[in-house]
Amino acid sequence: MRWRRTLGALVLVALLAAAGTALVRSTGPAGRSDPVEAVAASLRCPACQGESVVDSRSPIAASMRQVVADQVAQGRSPDEIRRWFVQRYGEEVLADPPARGVFLLLWAVPVLVLLGVCYAAVRTARPRGGPATRQPAADRPVGPGLSGRTAGRAWWAASLGLVATMASVTVAARQLDRPAPAAPADPVTVAVRLAQDLEQQQRYAAAAQMYGEALRDRPDDTVRLRLAFALLRSGDATGAERTSRDVLTRSPDSPDGLLVLGLAQRGTHPTDAPGTLRRFLAVAPEHPAAAEIRRLLAGASPTAGGTPAPRPAAATG
Amino acid sequence: MSRSGVPRPWWRRPPVGAALALALAVGAVLALRPTSAPTGGDSASAPAPALAGATLDGGRFDLADARGQVVLVNVFASWCGPCRDELPLLAEAERRWSDRGVRLVGLDVRDGAEAVRALLAETGTTELVVLPDPDGTRSVDWGVRGVPETFVVDRQGRIAARQRGVVTARWLEQQVTPLLGAP
Repeated sequence: MRWRRTLGALVLVALLAAAGTALVRSTGPAGRSDPVEAVAASLRCPACQGESVVDSRSPIAASMRQVVADQVAQGRSPDEIRRWFVQRYGEEVLADPPARGVFLLLWAVPVLVLLGVCYAAVRTARPRGGPATRQPAADRPVGPGLSGRTAGRAWWAASLGLVATMASVTVAARQLDRPAPAAPADPVTVAVRLAQDLEQQQRYAAAAQMYGEALRDRPDDTVRLRLAFALLRSGDATGAERTSRDVLTRSPDSPDGLLVLGLAQRGTHPTDAPGTLRRFLAVAPEHPAAAEIRRLLAGASPTAGGTPAPRPAAATG
Repeated sequence: MSRSGVPRPWWRRPPVGAALALALAVGAVLALRPTSAPTGGDSASAPAPALAGATLDGGRFDLADARGQVVLVNVFASWCGPCRDELPLLAEAERRWSDRGVRLVGLDVRDGAEAVRALLAETGTTELVVLPDPDGTRSVDWGVRGVPETFVVDRQGRIAARQRGVVTARWLEQQVTPLLGAP
């Protein structure tokens, strides 16, 4: 019987250790060194489902990160900053709202259930009949009835299941920790992302405007090429030509630059277009749009107004 | 466990039964509990946060100066489709009630000046007083959760109502007219 007790004690210890670990992991500090990030991680993005302010890519979360950074720079403590947010967004803005009332029961109930199950398991596994039956194992088979033994096995299985559950939760919690926090979104990145969304909605003029805004803050040829494509698709061939030429003055062999320039020229200078598009094919014969351009050049009469405007190969993140 | 020698079924044993009953009770309470209304920032009729700064057209706006008027604060952005749709309705409300002291100000979140000018031109709302909020921090100060969002600030400078998402003519009627008093 000793091994049974030892096993029972071991299971109990394992359960308690797992419960303790889970408690510490879920309530302890996340161990972030950057104070801005630490505070942002403790705030829930109000516009998202289950994302913290540090993880979310929504514009409002980016603004909240900015507010956190501003307040940290002003020397306010994390608790003061969190209180500031609670005043504006209510307590649900906290990733870990203070446990009270019904929510305290959420913690207490699993613990109580766990204790109850452990108790029942120990009682069931223990030989019945009190001290009289505490004798060598020879009596064991005639000890508890069949139903008692079945119940005992069920309890063992349940306990092991609980251990497995808690272990898997502990392991999963570790995997949920972000190994590398995403860089905070800056306004330019947000603008570019919005522009891409607009492009997907086929609102090319609006997308071009957002790319333009992004470029005003930070000139970047990849974004400029996306702007050129957006302009082309919105029907502004002149703007597309100007923008792509701008890129080509810096990198004359930019395949996307040549592609968009050639396509734009079909509207502005139709005689120059084939030459530019051939240069594009010479520079980037493997380009995803190359096949379409070859078809376009081969076809004697390109369909009017049907600018194919293939996707640029370069993708901005 | 049972003195009579017939073991009681597992669910009759006290600790298990008690734990199960407790778990069920708590589960029922949690399931039936009405979702709590958000506290703090949501409570209407709280004093409106400060809102002041240079406007898009180079002027200046200060909500404190608008005390005594009913101010509609519309949080919007040119990149937000629903905002585009509701702007004309809000501008029309301001026109309709302007002689009764209603003003409209747009808080333009994380947007570009050119993009928002184009939006105003497109929606025929070029008269709108726009307060740019390029980094969105003003909106966060107002507890904004997304765009569009509209606040009604009463004549005493308190938030009388807020609408997350698009406003309707009916909502404006219901929220604004009680604040106007006798014409």
